[in-house]
This record gives sequence, structure tokens and C-alpha cells, in this order.
Amino acid sequence: MTKDKNVIEVEGKVVECLRSAMFTVELENGHRVLAHISGKIRKNYIKIMLEDRVLVELPPYDLTRGRIVFRYRN
Amino acid sequence: MNTKPLNTKPFSSGLSENAVTVTRVADRQWHALDDDLVVGRGYAEYRPDGRLFVSIDAWHDAAFNQLAEAMLAELSAPLYTVVDEADAELTAAWQRAGFTVRRREWEYAVPTSPRVTGLEAVLPPPGVTIVPAGQADEGLLRAVDRAIRDEVEATVGWRSMPAEVIPRPEGDTIVDPSKYAVAAAPDRYLGLIRVVTVNRPRIGLVAVRAGEQRRGIARALLAHALETLHRSGSAEAWTEVHESNRAASALFQGIGARPMSSNLELVR
Repeated sequence: MTKDKNVIEVEGKVVECLRSAMFTVELENGHRVLAHISGKIRKNYIKIMLEDRVLVELPPYDLTRGRIVFRYRN
Repeated sequence: MNTKPLNTKPFSSGLSENAVTVTRVADRQWHALDDDLVVGRGYAEYRPDGRLFVSIDAWHDAAFNQLAEAMLAELSAPLYTVVDEADAELTAAWQRAGFTVRRREWEYAVPTSPRVTGLEAVLPPPGVTIVPAGQADEGLLRAVDRAIRDEVEATVGWRSMPAEVIPRPEGDTIVDPSKYAVAAAPDRYLGLIRVVTVNRPRIGLVAVRAGEQRRGIARALLAHALETLHRSGSAEAWTEVHESNRAASALFQGIGARPMSSNLELVR
């Protein structure tokens, strides 16, 4: 069984909702990434909106992109 | 169950020295590996209505395509997935994998202020009262819910209703009775509305018994629910409407609701 040891998960806040179902997320360290939502979130019709606190996965080779994998309750 | 037995044999394209390899790591979970790094994941998940939904999260088209190829080879049709229609890239990727659009559902932002909705003077028809959320009789609530669901099943079927399905034990459709306001006649309930707030209010269901429709009951339920939200400080609520449901679209558009985005359900 493989493990997702290469995935970086960081909390952040949605600061911009863009076209094409993309979002700008400001991470805890102030860094901003362009993120889309994960298939699981989409399947469960979880709505991501401005100022939502979210958990973002980052690929280790491109820290400008991300994938929103969880939306926290405010 | 229409999944085949677990197959952990790697599924490789062999396109390059560092070809992506897809492995089924659990009954309904696949990983795409590139040089021992996970570059994509695929999931399959049954909805309570028995339909199998798939999703893929991949950083590259190649990983997506190979995950899709491996998953589709091991899962029996029909398979479903959901995409945001604005996400043209993902929609195209699923279409390349053979999926076609089955339904479109609009997401509406619904104003709550009676001055905006024009619902301030709306009352239920004579003989009907609105019972606020948290005060409905649970037995009568379950009865009206069952009756309406049976009516839907006997006509268009739940598969053409808004697609969010909450897991429920023993086929129970009322997960939390406190979330429902109802329209009540002296002897039974005629309709119901469910509003759930997680970060923001969402109208999950508005429904009226078939024989009681076109009397303004849904409008009265909506007026009550939106006014309640307005009083509690929420300026907007959210809801989804299937594009073929013209009555619901007209109801929401008539009170100033704005279509914000659309979801596509794809099938293969």
C-alpha cells in the first residue's frame, strides 16, 4: 500500500472565487495558491465560498497550486 | 454490489521511463504513482439510492486519464460523477473517458429580506398553518415526507431530484426533524421545507403533496423560512434546482434568487 507521504496539507482561507471553479486560498503563512476543489467535496455538494476556512493539499513540486480537500465549519 | 474483486495488480501505460502506474489500493480507491509519488487518486462511492459515483483527483491529465481507464475497466456501468460546469477542463476529461451529461442543476443565491423577495404579505391558504422548525409533530412529519417521496417515486423518480443524498439508517428520510417547518391542515401535514445551516443556510427541500399543489403552500413555506433566516441575520440562503423543474425555477427566480453556478451530473 502506498502512502501519500508526498502530499502537503495546509490550512487556509478562501480570499477569491474565480471563474472555472477555481479559488485563491491564502495559506497560514500568507502564501497564496490557486486551488480547485476535490472530487469528494464536489460529489457531496459542499459549497466553497469567500472567507471559508479550508484544508488545501499542495503538490510538492508546484507550491502555487492546490486542491481544497476539506471545508471547516466556522 | 457491482464492483469486481479487489485487484492490486499495477496498471501501467508504459508511455515513458517514468510512466504513471495505477494501483487499486482498496475496494473503491485507486492511486496513480509516478516514481513512487502519488500523483492522483480515484474513488468510487455508493449513494444510498444504489448509484455508484466516481471521482478523480489528479495533478496531471496523464494521471487522470490512466486512473479513469483503470477504474472504468474494473467497475461496472452505469457510473456517475459530478462536475462544476464552469470547470471545463475537468468536464472535458470525463467526457474523454466516455461520460455524457445526464442532468444540470442550478445553484441559486436566495435573498432573505421580505422587501427583496416580495414575500412579506404572503400567507398560507385558508385552513393551512405554518408550523415553525423544531415544533413539528415527528409522526406527522415522517408521514408527509414518506407520502411525498412515494409520489415522486411514482412519477419522475428521485433520480431527477436534487442529487444530494444524506446517508440514513433503515431508509429513514428525516435525519433531523428539527430542521423542518411544515404546512399543516387540521388532520395532517401538507408540505415541508428543510433548511440546514452549515456556515450558511441551505434550503435542501421544499415539497408539497401532489393533491395540494398550486395553492400557494410552497410559497408560504418559503416566505416563512426566509423571514426566519432574515430575522436571525442571514442575508442569503442557497439552494439547487434541477433545470427541468420549471415550477421550482419560477418560484425562486420570482423572489429574486440569482443563478450562481451549475453542476453537471455525468454518466457512463
